[in-house]
Amino acid sequence: MKEVHHKADEHHGAHEKTYKYGMVVDLDKCTGCGACMVACMAENNLSFRKDNSDRLRSNLWMRVYKISNGRPFPDTDISFIPRPCQHCEGEGHHHTPCVSVCPATATDYSHETGIVSQVYTRCFGCRYCMAACPYHVRVFNWWDPTWPKGMEKYLNPDVSVRMRGVVEKCSFCYHRYQRAKNKAYAEGRRELHEDEYQTACTQACPAGAITFGDLKNPEHKVHKLKKSRYAFRLLEKLGTNPKIYYVSTRDWGRKAGEVYAGEEPKGVTHVTHA
Amino acid sequence: MKLDRRTFIELAVGFSAGAGGGFMLTPVNWKLMDDMTIWSQELWPRYQLGGLKGRLPQQGKVTHADSVCNLCPGGCGITVRKVGDRATKIEGREGYPVNDGGICPLGAAGLQLLYGPWRIPSPLKRIGKRGSGNFEKISWDEAINKVVQKLGNLRQKGQSHTVACILGSDEGTVPRLFDRFLAAYGSPNFIRTASAEDTYELALGLMQGTTGSVGYDLERANFILSFGSGLIEGWGSPVRVIQAHSTWRSGDLKDRATVVQIEPRLSNTAAKADNWYPINPGTEAALALGLAHVIIKESLYNVDFIGKHTFGFEDWSDSSGKTYMGFKRLVRTEYTPEAVSKITGLPAKKILTLARAFAKAKRPVAVWGRGKGTVSGSLYECMAVHALNALTGNINKPGGVSARPQVATRSWPEVERDATAWSGSRRPRIDGAGSNRYPLTRYLPDRWSQVMNGGKAGAIQALLVHGADPYYTTLDSAAVAKAFEAIPFVVSFSTCLDETAYHADLILPNHHYLERWEDIPTPVGLQKPILGMLKPVVSPQFDTRHAGDVLMTIAKSMGGSVASAFPWDDYETLLKETMGDNWGTLEKAGYIVNEGYKPSAWSKAFGTPSGKFEFYITAFDQAGVKIGKDVGYLPHYEPVQPEGNPATYPLILIPTELMRLADGAVGNPPFCTKTLEETELKKNDLFVEVNPKTAADYGLSEGHHAMLETAKGKAKVLVHLFEGIMPGVIGIPKGLGHAAYDDYLAGKGVSANSLIGVVEDPVTGLSAAWGVRAKLTRV
Amino acid sequence: MDSASAPFDSALFPEGVKRCKFKWFLFWLAVLHGPLMVGVIAMLMCWGLALHVTYLNNNYPFGLWIAADLGIIALGAGAFFTGFLRYIVNIEELKNIVNYAVVIGVVCYAAAQGILGVDIGQPLRGWFIFWHANVHSMLTEVAFCITCYFMVLCIEYFPLILENRQINKLRFFHGMAHHLHGAMPTIAAVGVFLSFFHQGSLGGVPGVLYGRPFAYREGFLVWPWTFFLFILSAIACGPCFTILVTWITEKCAGKRLVKRNVIDILAKISGRLLVLYLVLKTLDTVYWVAIAGKAGAPLSSFYANQPFGYWVLITELGILGVIPAIILLNAKARQNENILIIACILNCTGIFMNRWIMTVQALAVPVMSFDKFISYRPNWVEYASTLMFVWLGAVVIMLSYRYLPIFPQEKELNPS
Repeated sequence: MKEVHHKADEHHGAHEKTYKYGMVVDLDKCTGCGACMVACMAENNLSFRKDNSDRLRSNLWMRVYKISNGRPFPDTDISFIPRPCQHCEGEGHHHTPCVSVCPATATDYSHETGIVSQVYTRCFGCRYCMAACPYHVRVFNWWDPTWPKGMEKYLNPDVSVRMRGVVEKCSFCYHRYQRAKNKAYAEGRRELHEDEYQTACTQACPAGAITFGDLKNPEHKVHKLKKSRYAFRLLEKLGTNPKIYYVSTRDWGRKAGEVYAGEEPKGVTHVTHA
Repeated sequence: MKLDRRTFIELAVGFSAGAGGGFMLTPVNWKLMDDMTIWSQELWPRYQLGGLKGRLPQQGKVTHADSVCNLCPGGCGITVRKVGDRATKIEGREGYPVNDGGICPLGAAGLQLLYGPWRIPSPLKRIGKRGSGNFEKISWDEAINKVVQKLGNLRQKGQSHTVACILGSDEGTVPRLFDRFLAAYGSPNFIRTASAEDTYELALGLMQGTTGSVGYDLERANFILSFGSGLIEGWGSPVRVIQAHSTWRSGDLKDRATVVQIEPRLSNTAAKADNWYPINPGTEAALALGLAHVIIKESLYNVDFIGKHTFGFEDWSDSSGKTYMGFKRLVRTEYTPEAVSKITGLPAKKILTLARAFAKAKRPVAVWGRGKGTVSGSLYECMAVHALNALTGNINKPGGVSARPQVATRSWPEVERDATAWSGSRRPRIDGAGSNRYPLTRYLPDRWSQVMNGGKAGAIQALLVHGADPYYTTLDSAAVAKAFEAIPFVVSFSTCLDETAYHADLILPNHHYLERWEDIPTPVGLQKPILGMLKPVVSPQFDTRHAGDVLMTIAKSMGGSVASAFPWDDYETLLKETMGDNWGTLEKAGYIVNEGYKPSAWSKAFGTPSGKFEFYITAFDQAGVKIGKDVGYLPHYEPVQPEGNPATYPLILIPTELMRLADGAVGNPPFCTKTLEETELKKNDLFVEVNPKTAADYGLSEGHHAMLETAKGKAKVLVHLFEGIMPGVIGIPKGLGHAAYDDYLAGKGVSANSLIGVVEDPVTGLSAAWGVRAKLTRV
Repeated sequence: MDSASAPFDSALFPEGVKRCKFKWFLFWLAVLHGPLMVGVIAMLMCWGLALHVTYLNNNYPFGLWIAADLGIIALGAGAFFTGFLRYIVNIEELKNIVNYAVVIGVVCYAAAQGILGVDIGQPLRGWFIFWHANVHSMLTEVAFCITCYFMVLCIEYFPLILENRQINKLRFFHGMAHHLHGAMPTIAAVGVFLSFFHQGSLGGVPGVLYGRPFAYREGFLVWPWTFFLFILSAIACGPCFTILVTWITEKCAGKRLVKRNVIDILAKISGRLLVLYLVLKTLDTVYWVAIAGKAGAPLSSFYANQPFGYWVLITELGILGVIPAIILLNAKARQNENILIIACILNCTGIFMNRWIMTVQALAVPVMSFDKFISYRPNWVEYASTLMFVWLGAVVIMLSYRYLPIFPQEKELNPS
């Protein structure tokens, strides 16, 4: 299985420039303002409902988690973790967690870009990929997505709207990659510049906390940023090999990357969606 | 019988098998399978989009249009991506001097306001009871006639002074048109809705003798001491401050700026700060003076500035030989760290460390204005904080504070008033601003409703509202509702069905900000003058008209001197004329920035009677403000008592402001509401933050329903346990509790303004309330 | 038989057996249709209104449906395993129960597929699992094997229909049934092969989820250990389920249908396999604790949140594992019908619980340190649409029992 990647890289390498797109998110700068979430919704035609307060049913591609150090007043501290799809590469004998389990090949790992795709018209909604993803980046269409009359006017024609019963998730604004590539090709270039392809959340972030680029290109900012001694990734130990790096100078903040280690046993908490 | 049954069974089985087998051999079933798939992939989703009813969005050429965002006083530059005629995305405009490519969640959701179902499609006339939400479409002619008739009648009856206008700003051509209209018509009642600017402008006027708003050079400051300002939560021009925050967070750890947040609750700003000092709510002024005490005692202040450019620092005596106490003596005697510690709850040691760190920093700045700066606040508190800036001498310096002017525009010809206009304009204002009691204050946006309810119910006969939602944003909602009820004629110029429009008699919908021309003055808090230009990005989606044009049409229809005050053909002509030589640049680039602007040198900076920065406010006597006690001339701590009896209401309720929840004149769009945490809103119930200790005292746990009650009202809320809030304090997010708009916003949560009343500042009359006493009971 | 007192459809009954009055038969069918219709309504709601009508959510993409699916398939293992014992191991006595095992199997597998048809978000495109098959996915393996095996089961069930007294009178069908019987060992062998794979790949479904330390297992080649444990647990409980259903049928029919010695063979085999399973499961658990610990997830983190406390582990392996194993191994205990049935119930519940744990608890345990634990319980829509297949199964069994010669020993055990 390990060879799969190398073979694919070579296969592409012959005539196609390959990238490994990823992000470095500076949690010191992130203010939790939510602009990334809204920009993502606007860019990717995410539907919304009259009551969106149930996060368990909400379809956020980019979700900003609010985490706490759990200490009592006044030693409390909070921090924010913007969490797009981690676009896991997998390592060793592990393929991308969600890609290998999809029975209908509706999701795939691109060796050209390192982006995990999702084909909505092929997905038949078994949700196995959601079970496979430990980051909760995959969301299901529990309803028919609808727009109040008139609002369909702002829909982005570059991104298809989804239908009920399928899984969707962050695509690193893949349509922007395609757009940039088309432009480059039209200009006779085979390679994209760093600023030519940026995701909507990166572009919107007022704090400049998100940096996006080719992780393996030394000229891209992410290449250097990910090497910070304060950098970490979520659930690194599981071997998912995600492409989102986080930087936090707060020691407790970096612990967010660890696997859940349990808390005090709690009483039964049931959720209903009635 | 037996045979029949058998034959029947045989026939049936044979026929079914034959038909089934035959069918499987035809291509029909494959075709059906394919059709079903296409149905599920394309037809059904398209039907859901309304495509079968002809609502499918059109494809087209992709273009980009630059404009400015007008959803808050932040004034960011935006770039709108268009596909054909449709606007499909709002992005921050690269290189714009305010926000350089960044955008906030509200700005990014602007298209939902443009195309949303809460737009007002045409002029509307109320039918049925006010507040029932029943309106009838009428023509523009009819609508304008109604206003002309009503205002004409009032003017004829000599009641022109009973007409009031409420706006969100008093700068820019459109607010000035309203001001001009009142001047020509004959009313003094131009009211600007509340903000921290109200108080800061006064403080700057008194201490520095300047006009203009406060500008902070945040980008170059390296020690930011914030007295409860939600720096990264919408304070000032939100994107600009967040970008400044990122500047503070860049570079090597040891070179980074220090941010200190003073606030009883761990806001996002407090969490991001290097140090968070929770103090008892409402004691900020005491802390500022405590810090001043240490700075003065340890001679850490800027000797040059204090010595040469300030007045009233040391004790002084007037020509008659009477000695007055200076700021230094007041602070040295009254605000020792121990005394301040007692008031604020912050250990004396921390006061010492903080004061030293602040004073020793290279470019420290003390920042004032609670939360997003949507409430006026206490004058003395503002002065106390501003005094810290004076002590460190960082006034009109890089990384400091200055009184910033606007980009100059061409002035308009004087209004030629007739007799009615003269007499009307000279009548006292409804809100009492500028009266003997509050001679300094220009507008008292939280007071007019109190005055009306206090026995002057007929004081406003007609109210015009533009760019504001006073029905929602004014403190003490019940009082506002009562006052509105007493106004016979309310006209709203709103684009959306906000609370004021919902309770209006007539709605004359303005174009959406992406559909119109309008100049946008310098964003709040910015240190350099900028003028941005709203440009129509899309053609008007509904039967709306520019408020400037509508107002001019009304004026012209009224004839006489009112009409002649508006010599322009239309608003666009006026705008071009007013912008003068700048028009070309504004039309092309979309903005003008005075890059070379530098605040004046200290020697020329102050227009006070003493020509210096005044710790002792001599202007009080000049203006005829009754101060009473000596200490009243100096920045000092005067507790603003929250409303309510401590025995009945043992807890303190403070409003909290969230970046993801618009709480001003613009209702939160669905995208933003969707980003709210599950500990902020659940279905239609709003969470209040309570410290686990306090919650335990009242038998409350996470997610419990509770009744929150203040002297002003009560509401059912949910409890969220938050370690970051001071025990005994409850935090309630501002921005929900709308009845207007539509199902995406209406009915969700409660409005903080319905629970908090006005506490008048003794000098300014503005609301100094920072919270209210409350009780919380489990239900 | 007196034609006046015989039910009016008696001509369709197997030779020489008694059945209740047709009106009673209709009555019970009608009774079953009550809950069945509720299930149909639930199913139509899922298809018509989309899946928000359930309590499933993004944290619980799998819930009762998938757990039930895995459980039902495990319980249905009695079909292939009895076939395996009868036709391949050649335990002659089992011919007296193998028919019924097949009927139960058909019901179980039909139910499993039916539930999946409700569970997936786009049932109209469900066939994409074959059309766009991803060979790396355990679910693809499951889908192919289950579908193929279901066909095998149908082929095994088909001769039973042909043996209906009236149909069998036709020479063509009579001959066909005879030939099919002859081919049964081959068909059974194919069934066994397919079953091993899909039982295993169902185990692989949670086992490959390396993003979830609770579910993840290392393994052999591409198959995680759960692959083998699922096969073993399925064949350890399948026979018990057959016994249980046979017992229920006997209670309903009010007479013995299968001889005790036949039941005892199944019970004994089940018991031995259960012991083997428990040993391997224990080893697996120990190894799992070590592996998960290495990934940073201590055992306590899996059981930190109620209702998924340590009691789950104790109940699954102890009360629902060790106790039935002891009973089933003990010949004397097996002889006591009540005790035997209790053991069967415990065994079947244990397997069902295991499937629930491997799907639902696997999703319940938070993985990111800042994940909030959220529990799940199914709502009525999920219950009704799942149970619908139980009622449907009862209808199939009633029809089969009434009209088809399922129990070769019935006549001998109940002389008229």
